[in-house]
Amino acid sequence: MVLSLTWEIKPCSGLQCAGEEKRVGTRTVFVGNHPVSETEAYIAQRFCDNRIVSSKYTLWNFLPKNLFEQFRRIANFYFLIIFLVQVTVDTPTSPVTSGLPLFFVITVTAIKQGYEDWLRHRADNEVNKSTVYIIENAKRVRKESEKIKVGDVVEVQADETFPCDLILLSSCTSDGTCYVTTASLDGESNCKTHYAVRDTIALCTAESIDTLRAAIECEQPQPDLYKFVGRINIYSNSLEAVARSLGPENLLLKGATLKNTKKIYGVAVYTGMETKMALNYQGKSQKRSAVEKSINAFLIVYLFILLAKAAVCTTLKYVWQSTPYNDEPWYNQKTQKERETLKVLKMFTDFLSFMVLFNFIIPVSMYVTVEMQKFLGSFFISWDKDFYDEEINEGALVNTSDLNEELGQVDYIFTDKTGTLTENSMEFIECCIDGHKYKGVAPETDGLSQTDGPLTYFDKADKNREELFLRALCLCHTVEVKTSDAVDGPPESAELTYMSSSPDEIALVKGAKKYGFTFVGIRNGHMRVENQRKEIEVYELLHTLNFDSVRRRMSVIVKTQAGDILLFCKGADSAVFPRVQNHEIELTKAHVERNAMDGYRTLCVAFKEIAPDDYERINRQLIEAKMALQDREEKMEKVFDDIETNMNLIGATAVEDKLQDQAAETIEALHAAGLKVWVLTGDKMETAKSTCYACRLFQTSTELLELTTKTIEESERKEDRLHELLIEYRKKLLHDFPKSTRSLKKAWTEHQEYGLIIDGSTLSLILNSSQDSSSNNYKSIFLQICMKCTAVLCCRMAPLQKAQIVRMVKNLKGSPITLSIGDGANDVSMILESHVGIGIKGKEGRQAARNSDYAVPKFKHLKKLLLAHGHLYYVRIAHLVQYFFYKNLCFILPQFLYQFFCGFSQQPLYDAAYLTMYNICFTSLPILAYSLLEQHINIDTLASDPRLYMVSVEFQ
Amino acid sequence: MKKTSQICQSKLPDNTALKQQQLPAYRLQLSATGVLSGFFATGAFCLGVGIILILSAKSIKEIEIKYTKICANCAELREDAINFDKECTCSIPFYLSETMQGNVYLYYKLYGFYQNLYRYILSRSNSQLVGTDLKDVGNCAPFSKSHNGTPIAPCGAIANSIFNDTIILSYNLNSSIHMEVPMLRSGITWWTDKYVKFRNPSAINLSSAFTGTAKPPYWSKPVYELDLEDTENNGFLNDDFIVWMRTAAFPTFKKLYRRLNRVQYFIEGLPAGNYSFNITYNFPVTRFKGEKSVVLSTLTWSGGSSLFLGLAYTVTGAVTWLAAFSMMAIHLMLKEKRTLFIER
Repeated sequence: MVLSLTWEIKPCSGLQCAGEEKRVGTRTVFVGNHPVSETEAYIAQRFCDNRIVSSKYTLWNFLPKNLFEQFRRIANFYFLIIFLVQVTVDTPTSPVTSGLPLFFVITVTAIKQGYEDWLRHRADNEVNKSTVYIIENAKRVRKESEKIKVGDVVEVQADETFPCDLILLSSCTSDGTCYVTTASLDGESNCKTHYAVRDTIALCTAESIDTLRAAIECEQPQPDLYKFVGRINIYSNSLEAVARSLGPENLLLKGATLKNTKKIYGVAVYTGMETKMALNYQGKSQKRSAVEKSINAFLIVYLFILLAKAAVCTTLKYVWQSTPYNDEPWYNQKTQKERETLKVLKMFTDFLSFMVLFNFIIPVSMYVTVEMQKFLGSFFISWDKDFYDEEINEGALVNTSDLNEELGQVDYIFTDKTGTLTENSMEFIECCIDGHKYKGVAPETDGLSQTDGPLTYFDKADKNREELFLRALCLCHTVEVKTSDAVDGPPESAELTYMSSSPDEIALVKGAKKYGFTFVGIRNGHMRVENQRKEIEVYELLHTLNFDSVRRRMSVIVKTQAGDILLFCKGADSAVFPRVQNHEIELTKAHVERNAMDGYRTLCVAFKEIAPDDYERINRQLIEAKMALQDREEKMEKVFDDIETNMNLIGATAVEDKLQDQAAETIEALHAAGLKVWVLTGDKMETAKSTCYACRLFQTSTELLELTTKTIEESERKEDRLHELLIEYRKKLLHDFPKSTRSLKKAWTEHQEYGLIIDGSTLSLILNSSQDSSSNNYKSIFLQICMKCTAVLCCRMAPLQKAQIVRMVKNLKGSPITLSIGDGANDVSMILESHVGIGIKGKEGRQAARNSDYAVPKFKHLKKLLLAHGHLYYVRIAHLVQYFFYKNLCFILPQFLYQFFCGFSQQPLYDAAYLTMYNICFTSLPILAYSLLEQHINIDTLASDPRLYMVSVEFQ
Repeated sequence: MKKTSQICQSKLPDNTALKQQQLPAYRLQLSATGVLSGFFATGAFCLGVGIILILSAKSIKEIEIKYTKICANCAELREDAINFDKECTCSIPFYLSETMQGNVYLYYKLYGFYQNLYRYILSRSNSQLVGTDLKDVGNCAPFSKSHNGTPIAPCGAIANSIFNDTIILSYNLNSSIHMEVPMLRSGITWWTDKYVKFRNPSAINLSSAFTGTAKPPYWSKPVYELDLEDTENNGFLNDDFIVWMRTAAFPTFKKLYRRLNRVQYFIEGLPAGNYSFNITYNFPVTRFKGEKSVVLSTLTWSGGSSLFLGLAYTVTGAVTWLAAFSMMAIHLMLKEKRTLFIER
């Protein structure tokens, strides 16, 4: 939210002068900064330069800015006030006593932040001063990276990183593609293909690229790495502009690296702080730990104690002084000045003096010590060799050290299924064609001899249908082929390596390969498939309707050699079944359900033949939608929706996703630790359910309560049925737990266990049902049910719904601490929403790990992370904070009591040096060492006995 | 291949005791018997030390005579500041029933005199007292300058309010022979006070050193004439002055005045018999409802007659034992229950 707002404002100054045609939502970039035509006056727009500024301070503003930020902290500000009081008012202790500790704290923090900023400056300089080559007036000019302007044409060589966000113009290959790895952006190390617009592919030299006259219209910078909407208008000699759409596949991001391509030319569209990389480094919201909140509460209590003490002493002082021989004994006469000051003023300064005298009750160095403890303590997580995973050759990663102790207080765990509980390494298990089941992989040697069919069971379905099905598997995907030694060897011997963002697709393509249809690769927009007879079939790839989590399906439109236009679609059963016209879907449906029960991931495959006239229309619509600058997503979606109808169901596939190592043991341990584990997945209910059984989230004795479309659909009024069910379940649960809310954990061990299954649509029915009073009621009943269940499974969840659930639980009474764990981009929202977000360094890229607070290689590591590390951190920080308040209370109490013996004259009991050093050295270093190394229980014991975790949760 | 294996190793966290949190540690295994015996032992130790301390404090011979009421007429005279130059003496006879063995110390004790008032403590000039700058009267207000503007030496409220009674102890060997008990006025200060914190300004003689300064208003003689018998004991180095300048922490306090010079009759200490204090009463205490007393006391290894340390030890020991007994009772009760439970 904040980001989008700032972007509305910032570039406006540049835009408003650019003419009324430009809306705030778009920017126009002239390639090479050449005006597109002589008639149109070229007005240079001002964009920010290509300097990356990740540093917070400059040499000049460091002191004021840093001081300002530090004094925004309550404790620091408080001490500043005390210090000022000491300087101005005649107080019992010298200003040094509070000034020196404050100075120490401020200096230490400033040095730390200054050092960090210096490192950032150095990194910035490295990036900003690196050399780049820019095409200016048909010449290759060497420049510093920070000098790049929007509209400059930049040349990038192989293995160089892009200096800013570029639109690919040409890549010096015939097809205008280049390969890019975004490892430094999102950690995905596989190569991604980016395309140039067809019209500019040929411009491969500095001279030719200089002749290009084109304008790019694109949206204003936004942080989403995977979204880009733009349009390029190319003015060739005819003066008639040719418009081409630009998408994320045309955009080369700053920070990504060019691979396997000699050089490319690109035009800068976003520079400096407006690049997507720079935008992504901001915006991450700060999570505050519960301990920090309780520290603030403590501070307020102590402030009240302080005020009370000062008030008591002031009052007593004036009571005591009401007798003249106490007010002014002969041996202690007042000065002239003292006699003359007003009594009210004197009382006020006395009050201030007492405050100064007792101000050490507020521990000034606590923040520094706590921060140091957290920072140093977090190393133990990244040092732990138990978190090291050989497969990815990495250990745990700590992104925020502020939340260490939260790991020891978690009440609810929300976990993703795919890639988190399971391996996310898919294996093709079986398929079903026209309702006939094909299982058992044919040995590869048989492939040649069996000309009539690759499988022994193949006599059931029509042969044409089989081949169609396998072709569909071969064509309907976005897999890329990487040939290890493509140039030298004959094509057969070259080993094919498939790469894709989704492991399902790889499994499917590999599955098809086993049955004799091999996907060889894409060349010039033509997909090449080797069929069972070792013939190469070539299909022209017309359109790819990409997968998205809302549609839950993807399609390709291809043209066969014969000229037929075919659409192949694969997707989740719920997304495909309503869109097919077959009458015989029942068999396939049953098959799919059976597979899902076994815990396999199922996909349905459908196809449709498109008449040439229809294709014309579709093509036009698609291009129009792709060209749209505004609401492109919605328009595309609508077109896709129109296209993917009336298809013919061919069959279904089943892919197995193996459970992760020790997932079940980990879940069991977490259960035993009194944690409530919720599985939130986008997968089918049946699949998810079987996974839950496999990882022992549900026991065989667990009674399942289902709130799914299936249970609700039967009745006409969905909401009534839902209401009934909710009431029924609640009754059941409340009956089982009579007034046992206080000892829930005990109750679980003795009573029948319940598990709840809910799916996305029902959840949205509960949360968003018509805005009357009952909706609120639904929600509260639902929450009551959830809280009584040992395990909850939410399936068919959209990413935002996951976050919605987390938020809902977070706001429960008693504000329980939530933890989310996931591996994919779809889990990022819930990782950011929960108190502690944990990312799995999985196969679906590094998005989750990047946005998480802690990242571990495997799900099983969660056990030690919570049970051992979290528990210890919590105990340590609790002792640390409590000790700080305790020691200062003890320190100041004698001072307070002494006032009763010295006529409330503010005589300090301690020497100034002792007052000064007490907080900064005498008492802060020993406890720091303690709070780093204390293990009240052995780590192994903690990890092996989950029940110990409950103790730390209950004490919060 | 070698390179990749090296990279592999570098990413694996070091297997050191610190990084894996496996540093050698001693974890206390608390058992009921261990804890209880620990409590009993600590309690016994505290009780023992406490009793020893109390006994040693009790062994001290001490006599305290409050003389504000005894010298009521003098007290009344000092009530009014106008009578400051009228001398008033007062004799207090007393009988010492037992010999006070060893070193005997003579103290004066004040009740209700707040030497710890914040303004009072500040009202002194340390740079003046070490003799570097007699004119420096920094914090001494309102006793910094005399009426005609000359700086006061020693300045400030503390110096001004010095205890100025003279106390002479005389021994009545029999009804006719009265002899003054020989007392030493040296060696009653802290070493650091006498040799570090207090110095006379350097000059040929003291009176010339203090020219250009005035005496504190409540003083009858200037600082260089404090001790007419011993010229070394004058100026800022006067022992009584130094003792007074070290302010007391509580409103009731006693300060060392003299110590017994163990010669002749008094070689063993103060023999039993009739004594009398001859006091020149100068210091007004009734104005702030205070009291004065003289104290004669001996010392032991554990200090003076204060019972505080001994009592603190004893009480701590007693409380520890109480806690130990109650814990033992609880432990036994629970143990019984548990065995019962198991038997069932």
